Amino acid sequence: MEILVELDKVSKSYEEKAAVRDLSLKIEAGSMFGLLGPNGAGKTSTIRMMIGITRPDAGKVSLFGKPFGDGALRRVGYLPEERGLYKRMKVIDQLVFLAELRGLGALEAKRRATQWCERLQMADAMDKKTEELSKGMQQKIQFISTLLHDPELIIMDEPFSGLDPVNAVLLQDTLLELKKQGNAVLFSTHRMDQVEKLCDQICLIDRGAAVLAGGMREVKSRYERNRVIIQFEGDDGFLQHAAIAESKSYAGHAEIKLKPHADAQDLLRTAAATATITRFELVEPSLEEIFIETVGGRSDA
Amino acid sequence: MLSGMLRNTLLIAKREYIERIKSRVFRITTLLVPLGMGGLAVLGSFSGRKMEGVQYLAIVSSNHELAEEVKAALMEGEMPPKGVEVYAPASEADLAQLKSEVAEHQIGGYLTLETVAGEARPKVTWVSGSSINFVSKAQMEAAVSSALIREQLAAKGVPDSQMNQLMQDTKLKTMQVKNGGVVSSDSEKSFLGAYILIIVLYASVLIYGINIARSVVEEKTSRIFEVLLSTTSADSLMLGKLLGVGATGLTQMGIWAALLVFYAGSALAAGQGIHGLASLGITKAELGYFGIFFLLGFFLYSGLAAALGSSVSGETEVQQFSFILISPLVVSVVLLPFVLGNPNSTTAVVLSLLPPFTPIIMYMRICSQMPPLWQIALSIALLAGSVWGMVWLAARIYRVGVLMYGKRATLPEMLRWLRYS
Repeated sequence: MEILVELDKVSKSYEEKAAVRDLSLKIEAGSMFGLLGPNGAGKTSTIRMMIGITRPDAGKVSLFGKPFGDGALRRVGYLPEERGLYKRMKVIDQLVFLAELRGLGALEAKRRATQWCERLQMADAMDKKTEELSKGMQQKIQFISTLLHDPELIIMDEPFSGLDPVNAVLLQDTLLELKKQGNAVLFSTHRMDQVEKLCDQICLIDRGAAVLAGGMREVKSRYERNRVIIQFEGDDGFLQHAAIAESKSYAGHAEIKLKPHADAQDLLRTAAATATITRFELVEPSLEEIFIETVGGRSDA
Repeated sequence: MLSGMLRNTLLIAKREYIERIKSRVFRITTLLVPLGMGGLAVLGSFSGRKMEGVQYLAIVSSNHELAEEVKAALMEGEMPPKGVEVYAPASEADLAQLKSEVAEHQIGGYLTLETVAGEARPKVTWVSGSSINFVSKAQMEAAVSSALIREQLAAKGVPDSQMNQLMQDTKLKTMQVKNGGVVSSDSEKSFLGAYILIIVLYASVLIYGINIARSVVEEKTSRIFEVLLSTTSADSLMLGKLLGVGATGLTQMGIWAALLVFYAGSALAAGQGIHGLASLGITKAELGYFGIFFLLGFFLYSGLAAALGSSVSGETEVQQFSFILISPLVVSVVLLPFVLGNPNSTTAVVLSLLPPFTPIIMYMRICSQMPPLWQIALSIALLAGSVWGMVWLAARIYRVGVLMYGKRATLPEMLRWLRYS
């Protein structure tokens, strides 16, 4: 797979504060990459260096296999975290202007803008002024403006914040489709459920440094399947089993965290002996739990 | 095929231009400024007509010949009254009658000429119902003086024909050395062009300078500039903005200029002694320099406005620096009388070479006494260079602004950030 972005030991600091430290990552074509981290971890700083808004103090950034250059920007679509549009411009004029800046001809820009507006169910907003639209609608306009020039690399900083579920799914599906077509999508977010569903690769950064990186499957497989969900009828005495680190018990439903390397099968046997088991599931930890464990553990230290 | 940067610059200029032309502010100022100017012109011609001498008056004297001479002088003067009655000699009843006529505003007033024994000049008094305006005062003083001289000359036996020749007003013809030749000049008109430049530059810097600063601030507060910066360079953005706003300004000036040409050829202007643009004392060469200095001055100040706009965080702060923006213009205007008096002094030369003052001071020098060509060329080069420098600086500050949130950056902070970006 072609590597679209490569950061090699990149560092950047503002004033006395290190925003990014020694960060390395690669984003491949046709993948969805999740850049995760708590607020202020350095996600936006990292993205800004990727697209040349700021320059790294140390390390190397390459876009499409070359050091950063102006021409490369036409192959990138960037949706910043803080959205901005010209408020008094008509939606269609605005979309055409932004697409022209990225190298499209006026006619082609207009054709694509109309197409996209129809696709995202907002054709009737095209002739309105931007300031007349709701926040969610404005966000969709900005989403479209990021994609009009069919960028190979799509960078989205918190793309779904502030959207209702229907529109969030609409945009998610659009991104998945673009990924299937071979575009690379970089997400920055702290919404773990979305990342878990959408991303193939992740990089978790905390205080400017990568603390966890790799393929989603691979990262998850590093963590034990040590969560157990049991649904049962009868005695809950099995909750005293030696393998259990902690447990929450509701009526006929227990959520259990096992001790490291504990034998789940032995727990099942014990439970089955005293109660009727209707569900016994060994679950891998969610990305959210991994996130809290990794980041929370560090900040406690 | 246009290069990417140039293409983007033009795209941005186009957007800025179209959005501004469509805006309400543009329509309002395009209409209001000429209306205001026209109103001033009408007001000027109206108040000019109001300046007139006394319409009806009486002359009271014991010397009948002198009274008749004064009457004749008044009637031949620049603003002859409609009626002059002579009471010479006047009775007590005449005086009482005159006083009541003044009181009832039937006459503007009466002039008494009392001859004093042994004195060549009579004692002259003007009695009226209101305080005298300077036009009437000058009118009467001139009439009395000329009558006295005529009387003295007549007493010395000078014939009437010779007397009229002697009494003619002196007409001063003014000439000026301009572009190597001596041409007739009108001291007021030759600076009219410079004054127009000052007003036009002042107005457009105030309107469009503030406008450009606002639009920069708007892009910053709406954060759209992060999208723009991820697409094109800050230099293209700033340059495009300046070109777009400049084109808007030129469009507006064009409309105004067309109106001015129309006005100069109109009946209203003819009534004020203006026939066509040439009688405003503006030559073609001056018009060319006007264009150059206006454009460069406009771009320099717009660049400064853009830089200031980039360094603040909110709309309200724009108001605070509008003074910083126009203060070099104010200083130029204050220095103007000095430059007019000494157009070739070292101070004037140095001032005209300093870019912020160049547009007004150098143009004024060109209008009053053509400076050496190398000075003009140097001042234009320096001005153009500083426009470029200002755009460069504004672009840097704009770029750094991505990193600013909420608060205004101090100068040292900005300098540090310039290094980071």
